[in-house]
Amino acid sequence: MELADRAVGLLLSVISLSIFTYYTFWVIILPFVDGDHFVHKYFLPQEYAILIPVYAGVALICFLSVFIGYVMLKSKKKKS
Amino acid sequence: MKHIVKIMALLVVMSALWVSLLQTSKIPESYTLLLPLYFIVSLGCYGLLMVGVGLMQFPTCLHEAVLFATVCALLVLEDIVEAKEYLKQNGVDVGSNS
Repeated sequence: MELADRAVGLLLSVISLSIFTYYTFWVIILPFVDGDHFVHKYFLPQEYAILIPVYAGVALICFLSVFIGYVMLKSKKKKS
Repeated sequence: MKHIVKIMALLVVMSALWVSLLQTSKIPESYTLLLPLYFIVSLGCYGLLMVGVGLMQFPTCLHEAVLFATVCALLVLEDIVEAKEYLKQNGVDVGSNS
């Protein structure tokens, strides 16, 4: 159990660090690179830098709301 | 109270920097508009990283827990034997298994 927790923690850290690195490259460094540089092949167009986080945030909020509603419904049923 | 003042000051400084960057338009505006979103994304990444690090370094004392459970089980067994003896002396039938 302990090892699984540690693996999950390591996975979360790696995911967050890789997302941070990629997004930093995408948003901060790419504007200063020429438009015809080969690096641009590895990144989506600029609109997606807005669209993907917004979609992810909306999905996260929806999931959280559904989860909270589910938990509240369950706790109310247990009480009665 | 002090912490929130610090955070607010940081936010004000960052927004001032952002507005000045928007006004001077040294880099294309479409990139400057992305900076607050970048800030939010990095904040989310920081939160995820802290959760991961906390999960990795979560202090568990497995050895002590096993020891504690063993001692508790021994104590409970002792109590059970003692109670059975007492009840038997007083003429209560508690069964003779174990």
